[in-house]
Amino acid sequence: MNLNFSSPLFLYGLLGITIPVLIHLLTRRQQKHIRFSAVYLLAQSQKRSIKKSRPNRLLLLLARCLAIILFSLALADPFFSFKQSEAFPSPTSIVFILDDSYSMGTQADKETLFDHALEFVVEGIARAPEKSEYSLVLASSPARIEQDWTSDKTVFEKILKAQSVSFRTTHIGHAVEQSIKLLDSAKQEKKKIFLLTDLDKNGWKEKAFAKVTAPYPVKVLNFSSLQSDDNKGMVKNVQISQEFLTQSRLLRVKAEIRNFSNTLSRRPLSLFLEGKIVKEELLDIPPGQTLAHEFSYPLRRNQPLDGKVHISDDSLTTDNSRYFSFHPSQNIKVLVVDGDPETISHQSESFYLERALNPFSVSLSHIDPTISTLAELPLRNLSDFSVVILANVRELSPGYELELEKFVLNGGALLFGMGDQVDPKYFNERLGNLLPVKLDSQHQVKEGAHLLLKNNSHPVMKVFSPKELEEMREINFYSMYTIQAREDKIFKVGTWFSNQSPAVIESSVGKGIVVLFLSSLDRDWNDFPIQPTFLPWIQRWTQYSARGLDSIFRQSLLVGESFRQNASSTDNNWIVRAPDGTLHILENEVFSNTFQPGIYHLFSLPSSETRIQKTLKKIPKDAEPAGTFTVNIDVQESETGKISQKEIEGFLEGMKIEIQKPHSQTTTPQTSDGIPLATPFLLMVAGMFLIEGWMVRKE
Amino acid sequence: MENSAQKFDAQVLSRISSLKITAMNLVEGLLTGQHRSRHKGSSVEFAEYKDYSPGDEIRHIDWKMVGKTDKYHVKQFEQSTNLKCTILLDASGSMGYQSPLKEQHPKMGVARTLVAALSYLLLKQFDAVGLTLFNDKVVEHIPPRSKASHYQHILHGLANISPQGTTRIADVLGGMAERLPGRSMLILVSDFFVQNQDLQKSLKLLRSRGLEVILFHVLHPDEIHLPFEGDIFFESLEDDPTVGLDPKDIREEYQKTVQDHINSFKKDCNGLGVDYVFLDTSEPLDQALTYYLLKRKSLVKL
Repeated sequence: MNLNFSSPLFLYGLLGITIPVLIHLLTRRQQKHIRFSAVYLLAQSQKRSIKKSRPNRLLLLLARCLAIILFSLALADPFFSFKQSEAFPSPTSIVFILDDSYSMGTQADKETLFDHALEFVVEGIARAPEKSEYSLVLASSPARIEQDWTSDKTVFEKILKAQSVSFRTTHIGHAVEQSIKLLDSAKQEKKKIFLLTDLDKNGWKEKAFAKVTAPYPVKVLNFSSLQSDDNKGMVKNVQISQEFLTQSRLLRVKAEIRNFSNTLSRRPLSLFLEGKIVKEELLDIPPGQTLAHEFSYPLRRNQPLDGKVHISDDSLTTDNSRYFSFHPSQNIKVLVVDGDPETISHQSESFYLERALNPFSVSLSHIDPTISTLAELPLRNLSDFSVVILANVRELSPGYELELEKFVLNGGALLFGMGDQVDPKYFNERLGNLLPVKLDSQHQVKEGAHLLLKNNSHPVMKVFSPKELEEMREINFYSMYTIQAREDKIFKVGTWFSNQSPAVIESSVGKGIVVLFLSSLDRDWNDFPIQPTFLPWIQRWTQYSARGLDSIFRQSLLVGESFRQNASSTDNNWIVRAPDGTLHILENEVFSNTFQPGIYHLFSLPSSETRIQKTLKKIPKDAEPAGTFTVNIDVQESETGKISQKEIEGFLEGMKIEIQKPHSQTTTPQTSDGIPLATPFLLMVAGMFLIEGWMVRKE
Repeated sequence: MENSAQKFDAQVLSRISSLKITAMNLVEGLLTGQHRSRHKGSSVEFAEYKDYSPGDEIRHIDWKMVGKTDKYHVKQFEQSTNLKCTILLDASGSMGYQSPLKEQHPKMGVARTLVAALSYLLLKQFDAVGLTLFNDKVVEHIPPRSKASHYQHILHGLANISPQGTTRIADVLGGMAERLPGRSMLILVSDFFVQNQDLQKSLKLLRSRGLEVILFHVLHPDEIHLPFEGDIFFESLEDDPTVGLDPKDIREEYQKTVQDHINSFKKDCNGLGVDYVFLDTSEPLDQALTYYLLKRKSLVKL
């Protein structure tokens, strides 16, 4: 039962009582004492006098002060609440679960929801009785105990003030589990969990609550109610690819933008490269839809590029940018696996492919082929290569198809060339996840089939001149595999043969690509490898399929995911420079401190170097840049869905759940919680003025 | 010892001498050419005849008249002995009022001078004068004497007054009425600031005993006009509770109350055949003494 105020700022008006007090003091006459004889006559006269009711100045002062006090109180909108004013009437063990996921960074007034939550906790512990103990659990993934039990309010406040909103997703289930463990070891009899969150649905996963069974009361404070504006959209995904032109190449940045609102969103989308806006487009994103937009940017210099795609800011800024990095200077590393190596070199596929891919030196073609036999293949680290060409391969070592799948899913390109060694049965049974089609049978054309090159709109074919195309059309293909489409696969036929069977089939798998050339890559089935057009043709296909260069050379991670350095260069020490400039030494080739979105730069340090210090202030001189990897937020957290009370009750079965808006607990209580007193106070003010007026009139 | 020491206090002595001089000057100035001495022949004078009634003394029967008229008449005579006068002076706290304002007319000072002058006048006429000081009881009583040296006693008594205590005139008069000789004179000097006391009854008693009573009502101008300004706490010189007020607010009412007070006294006195003399301490004492002399003359004539 207590008196609350909706607008307590007006209570400063109480200082106004100094005005009548000052007036009283300034106008007060000095009081004299006189010894007089006929005092009883004075008393009689005073009784009889008409003016005997002359106001006592003190009473007048009192009336004026009361009027000002009542007026100030009335402006402060008081109301009388019968609710218990203290959240914790007796010493309590309280676990504060603070949702510090990035969605709590949503703006509410001038502060973020997280700031409001922190303020709430600080106010809460200030009001809590002595001997209460507090602990803090952070609910962002992975949920963790930030502060174990403490009764020292100052220490706890210090810990709270050191917190900031993270870039992680929410994991309420784990946080509740941690809290229950804490409460099990709490000293006080009274125990309570305060869950301060925005009720983002993403943080509530049914699995996580399986272990949660405890009878502790949980107060859920929904801070999303303070949100001044909705999260209107986000950059959902960014994919980069490159397109090789004759002399230069294009960087293609494909961004997917999601509109969360119910209205058409017109927002500018910007492409930043090296911190500068290089392109900007105004997008109209349909309500609730995701729109893909591709930027093309010509690369003039072979320098690594760091960039981001950014849409104009809304209430949640974290998901408005997505980072990428690109390394155009790297050569395309190609692994050529020859399934049928011959003792006479020019009878092998690898002979033609090696020469076609790298006729003179790497510097010209930017393609760096490595020849391997099938037996050597398991020894190779596929992540060192962008493109793997399997030429006339009979079958892979057991289980290796899974390695290939992983390679392609992560952005690698896989090119198949047919030949007499190819076993269609093996291909159809074991490589079903990679190949979009089933190999049927080898088909022979005695008179020779030709390539149909009418439509040269394919990116690979665009570079060929009509004359070169004419030359290509004249090439004879005597044998090829026919195919059957798989029902659940999507593929594209790049080129057809004149006998209506496909010559080249391409299909996207994960981030990567699989290309199937249905004839041989040596001279067994055709004359193509000895034609001048073979060289640009195979180079173009290699370059085309190696589009996911960034993905394959360096990893693109989500916040909190670990970065793993490839094992190939174990001799070196590695240094990571985080987006905020801090330097970290890579231990065991794993870097886990990826809690900040942005571009992380990797530097290698020769192993001959004496032991490097554990803490680095600047990058050593002999360290060499070794690429980058990007860390972006997990956009799941941006999804606007909120969890309902019913669902929460379902998850936390057996716990006493109370869901509240935060302001009913903080300094600005709601009038609806009690009996409003502003009107009676105003009436009393009017009454006081009437009394004051009457007294003055009497004077 | 303390009293005797007080009696010879230098201040008291100087007060006596100045009082004596003031009173004598006052009286001598007034009497020049006006006063007829009563000392020359105070004999029995015939007043009237009265029918004889049993109990009357036979020696007072006028036998000549019996001879002439054959009726018994008794001769009645006016007794013209020397006057015995008792002066009652109020020595209560209220009489000690001293104005905080610039104009000073101390009430007790004026009353003292009045009493001294009256005493001197009376003694000069060979009348007997006594002095009684009182507040709620008789404080000091100097019995009436006609010796010239008695004046010194009276002056001493006057000089030693220190006003204090409450006023209870009615009680004092009630007690006095028994002791005073019949057909004497009583002069009562007071401010008559008494509450709820049946003064009228006491006066009636005195009158019934054939006493000639003169009231001198002595008031300071402050007590009449209430000339103060500002918020004032009036503390009583007697035992009334303190009153805090702005005199401006009640001045008219107060003046009216005081005037009513005076008028009611006048009226009561007239009804009882008591002489009432109002004395404003800011005015010269001559008027009061003149009034007394006129009164005396009329008494002599009777």
